[in-house]
Amino acid sequence: MTEPSPTMAPPEPAMAAGLTRTLINKPEVGPLVLLVIMLVVFTAINPAFVSITNIGNALTFTVELGLIALAMTLLMTAGEFDLSVGSVFGFSPVVMWTLFNEAALPLPVAFLAAILVALVIGLVNGLFVTRLRIPSFLVTLGMLLVVRGTALWLTDGFPQRTWKADDQWLSKVLVGDFYIGSLRVYMSLIWFILLAVLFHYVLTRTRFGNWIQATGGNPVAARNRGVPTARVKTALFMLSAAMSAFAGIISSIRVSAANPNSGTGYELEVIAMVVIGGTALAGGRGTIIGTVLGVLILRLMRNGIVLIGVPGLAYNIFIGAIILGMMALHAALERRHNAGD
Amino acid sequence: MAGTEAPLVEMRNIQKYYGRVHALRDVNLKIKRGEIVGLLGDNGAGKSTLIKVLSGAVPYTSGQIFINGQEVNLRSTNDAIASGIETIYQDSALIPQLSIARNLFLGRELRKGPGFMDRLDLDRMKEVAASLLKRVGISKNIPPSTAIGSLSGGERQAVAIARAMYFDSDLIILDEPTNNLGVAETQGVLRFVREARDTGHSCIFIAHNIHHVFQVVDRMVVMRRGSVVADDISPRTSSIQDVEDIITGEHAA
Repeated sequence: MTEPSPTMAPPEPAMAAGLTRTLINKPEVGPLVLLVIMLVVFTAINPAFVSITNIGNALTFTVELGLIALAMTLLMTAGEFDLSVGSVFGFSPVVMWTLFNEAALPLPVAFLAAILVALVIGLVNGLFVTRLRIPSFLVTLGMLLVVRGTALWLTDGFPQRTWKADDQWLSKVLVGDFYIGSLRVYMSLIWFILLAVLFHYVLTRTRFGNWIQATGGNPVAARNRGVPTARVKTALFMLSAAMSAFAGIISSIRVSAANPNSGTGYELEVIAMVVIGGTALAGGRGTIIGTVLGVLILRLMRNGIVLIGVPGLAYNIFIGAIILGMMALHAALERRHNAGD
Repeated sequence: MAGTEAPLVEMRNIQKYYGRVHALRDVNLKIKRGEIVGLLGDNGAGKSTLIKVLSGAVPYTSGQIFINGQEVNLRSTNDAIASGIETIYQDSALIPQLSIARNLFLGRELRKGPGFMDRLDLDRMKEVAASLLKRVGISKNIPPSTAIGSLSGGERQAVAIARAMYFDSDLIILDEPTNNLGVAETQGVLRFVREARDTGHSCIFIAHNIHHVFQVVDRMVVMRRGSVVADDISPRTSSIQDVEDIITGEHAA
């Protein structure tokens, strides 16, 4: 697992026309091209964009959303999505630090308890969707409010203290930092890379991955073939919640505060990352490589826009335009793919 | 023809209620080994319900099902598949986004490696798929890693039938396999059905197009309003008009 992740390979500017035929079936190509263009444009306008410090900083913030995006990719490939990730992102650290500060539990125990609570949240989402057949949009929207409300009610709206965390081995494992040359690397980036490789492997090489794609592609056929689609979806809802909790906890240690309001709006940004990467909103087709590219695109866009002097408030205009553009591109590729032999 | 050998599949006195709707009324059906049976009937006659019962997709209210003389309890599609009954539903047999090889092995994936870290044996799955495609006579050279979504309707049916044949299903149930297919593709599907019979599989063939049914079946069963009204019509001795009359209930009864 220590080999360099294929998902993090440096983008190749190979865009020879002869390749298009084979590349057209790969949904990752669009986002890859976009990422390369962004890198070139931003660097041309402000060379500081590619500086070690800037890339290092951008990557640090990237991974917290990225961790959620990895799980969301699998869930969306199975044909569902989860709007409650942002609230779980805010709620789980509150649970963990409350247990740590008030109940004086050891940090690892509090950590496991918070992950366990998240798993239960995911399980409830999954059961509502698969047993009661309520669309995931409604179920997870309801869950978003319940979880966020619980976080606010537990804390009276105030952030939980986390700064006793410094001497804990767990916080070092999760967000400790070290230097490669002059590049400051956080442990969270390592976690992201490891998990991205693992998720890519699971999705493309394992039976469970086959079932995920089948569940999203044609649920009736999958069920007829004996694929336990309900269990696949429920497991992915649990994974999505657990990854959100994991990301939220990492974030809370990094910023030294467990704010019950943090993560607000993350669900939409995460879904944007996933669809920009080429995962189909309707399910059946998903790509972890694409999601990693989508995560980088949105984060470097936010970063680059500021560096080249566009007002930060205009960020959403660009994000919206990118989403629309990528959707148009994927739709066009899909049509061409289906029209082909 | 009444041999001493037990029929491959026997359904006895099957009743099915959907709430107050009596969908199957005391249905009896026998399928012999190596026999292609056409199942005919108008919309709502109970064909689909019968097929769903036999493939384990819906539970029946009462009655018995025997396979090779053994009574079985089909509670799920997995039970039916394990008992050698493979159902190919119209338009819903395959996953369009997945490759031919992955579709062939869906639910019964070949795996390699140690138990916990096991992964799909994609090479072997592709190998089997390629030889299977050749066997069912997909003439064009289609690589097994092609997504189902880019195949034609006839090619998809061929893949679905190939899958049933590969897994040695004793009984292959085809639900409207010739719907929306062109002439050449329909001929291809009918050829696969004959081939399946020649290699010892039984088939239940459901189609609205009686002409297609006539070309391939050994025997026809007609359902009307949840009951089997005729179960031994031979395509050699009956005309299409006779069968249509039985389906609509216009024959003297």
